[in-house]
Amino acid sequence: MAASTFCFALSPLSKIKCNVNIIYTLNKRTAFSGGLSKIKGVEKQVAALPERSSQGPRRPRREAGEPRTERMSVDQDWTAVYPTAKSFKQNAVPLPVRMGYPVKRGVPPEKKGNLELIKIPNFLHLTPVSIKKHCEALKPFCTEWPNALDSDAKCEEHFPIQVQSKDFVSAGPSLRNPKARIITLTVKLSSLNLDDHARKKMIKLSGERYNKESDTLTITTESCPLRQQNYDYALYLLTVLYHESWKMEEWEKEKTRADMEEYVWEDSPSQKNILETLLRMHAVEKCEEDGGVQKELLGRPEVEEYKDSVTKLKNEGENECNIQQYKDAVKKLLNI
Amino acid sequence: TMLKSTFTLLSWQQQVGQYYTIPSAQLKKAFPNGLPRRFQMQIKTFNEACVMVRQPGLELISYLKRADYAKPALRYILFGEVGCGKTMSLCHTLHFCSTQGWLVLHVPDAHLWVKNCKELLPSSSRPTRLDQPIEASQWLKNFKITNEHFLSKQIKTTRRYIWTKRESTEEGRPLGEMVDHGMSRVKSSSDVVGALLRELRLQAGGATEDAFRLAVAVDGVNALWGKTSLKKEDKSPVSPDDLTLIHNLKKMLRNDWCGGAILTTLSQTGSLFKPRSAYLPTELLGEEGFDNMDPFVPIPVSNYSDKEFESCYLYYMDRNWLQHPHSRTEEGRKELLFLSSRNPSILERLCSFL
Repeated sequence: MAASTFCFALSPLSKIKCNVNIIYTLNKRTAFSGGLSKIKGVEKQVAALPERSSQGPRRPRREAGEPRTERMSVDQDWTAVYPTAKSFKQNAVPLPVRMGYPVKRGVPPEKKGNLELIKIPNFLHLTPVSIKKHCEALKPFCTEWPNALDSDAKCEEHFPIQVQSKDFVSAGPSLRNPKARIITLTVKLSSLNLDDHARKKMIKLSGERYNKESDTLTITTESCPLRQQNYDYALYLLTVLYHESWKMEEWEKEKTRADMEEYVWEDSPSQKNILETLLRMHAVEKCEEDGGVQKELLGRPEVEEYKDSVTKLKNEGENECNIQQYKDAVKKLLNI
Repeated sequence: TMLKSTFTLLSWQQQVGQYYTIPSAQLKKAFPNGLPRRFQMQIKTFNEACVMVRQPGLELISYLKRADYAKPALRYILFGEVGCGKTMSLCHTLHFCSTQGWLVLHVPDAHLWVKNCKELLPSSSRPTRLDQPIEASQWLKNFKITNEHFLSKQIKTTRRYIWTKRESTEEGRPLGEMVDHGMSRVKSSSDVVGALLRELRLQAGGATEDAFRLAVAVDGVNALWGKTSLKKEDKSPVSPDDLTLIHNLKKMLRNDWCGGAILTTLSQTGSLFKPRSAYLPTELLGEEGFDNMDPFVPIPVSNYSDKEFESCYLYYMDRNWLQHPHSRTEEGRKELLFLSSRNPSILERLCSFL
């Protein structure tokens, strides 16, 4: 339109004269309203624009078109809308989401122009359909899982040592991540060939790294700069532990009761006590004392029961049930 | 139902939950210092000593009745949570023993001997050990009150004891003389206690006519194997074995003597360096204590059963102890039940407010 072009042409010159400016803004307004009515057929009364001393080139403000959600069908391909991780776009997500603190007597604000929704991370790019597509795309690079290993137990049996390593992907100036060199090696001690002494020694040597409940030894290595070196070091540690625990040193013969992992009833103060008590009790009845009396006393079923209950008390810790068992055993033994 | 009666030896089992009164003459004699402090206050308030008959006490008495006293002494340990009634059960059993004519050796609280000791003297007989004159003389006084008749007549010393260069007790003198000596000469009182224990150990349960049975009762026996809060002059910690009293008492707790029983309770209340939730034998006794006391008969003491709670509540009502009107209603009773969760000591403390 002539008027509009007139406006545009004269806008640089509007700096010089303000008066001229006013005329042109008025013209611009009329041109605008005329334009709108032509395109949309909707009368829009534009409010009085504030006086603007425009410093830069005046940028015409475009009206936003209809949001994309209007044109979305129900069975569309969502992976095309959000193929990668992107911030929340309110005109592309056809959900009436509301987020934010409701002002008094109000509701949470709508999604249009809502900064809260944009700030938070969203997973719109990870719907089940898109994950399926990712899997399909990765399939050509994978090999078949061996058929023979169809249960966890079989995997454990054939591959007792498990090695874990982490890879990191990030966008930045460098691809390398120092955390990627850490190697964690887990193995169950039951799958290793250890006898009683070797097992106890191995547990003592590994210290913190052994988990009693799950019977696993975990070796974490991060002292070398490269992953390959760490892996070799972890395997080396495992080998050394295994061989060392089989060796029997001279000083190991001096192992005392305090070093023992679990309670052993033979030669314990409890055994001595019970022997003495029983001897005294029987010394009252018969007047002879035999060397073989000891063994005979120890062989009795009540003493066996007593021995079991004491061992249980000491090894498993105390609870009502254990104590009741101990009580019954003592009562039987002492003829109460 | 509540039944106040002087006790009878028979038909105890039906009387669980019922109260029996200890006549006041016997009370002063049997327990000069043995009862729990709050119970002593209750005695003063109600002007009578009413003890509830409960299952652990009955169990212990039944064992004592059935035991063979020609055989070595049996050890019993009462254990349970804080405030369940272990000391009261022990006192109930001791009262039974004293009425049966036993000699009662009662250490009301062994924890008192391992902490807060004002005077610690190096022992006269053995250089490494430490004496506690005040505690020893106090205990001798109480012992004399309890066992007066034994000391003056029956028991004689078996050998000569030399206390210091000038003082000694000859052989064949009545034990009471030794006890008097200990009470007057406070410095050698710990040694007197040791000698007394030895004599009793040797002479208990003989086959003669005037044989007596010995009941050794120690409350808070876990103090003997724990730590003390005492320090020597060079600020090094004192272990329980360094104390003469404790050492002699430990000898008493071994089952190498016949003719009596060893009744003990575990107590967390006065104990040092033990968490409040500990109540099982190994937790409180420790490994060493368990090995020393083994084999023993553990007797658990639990909170009140429904019947016992009812009985206690009715007793307080009968004595007009529950003044608050709401406490006399059914709802009030339910509130008390819930708040105290049937724990005897908590119930007693709650009711004292009402």
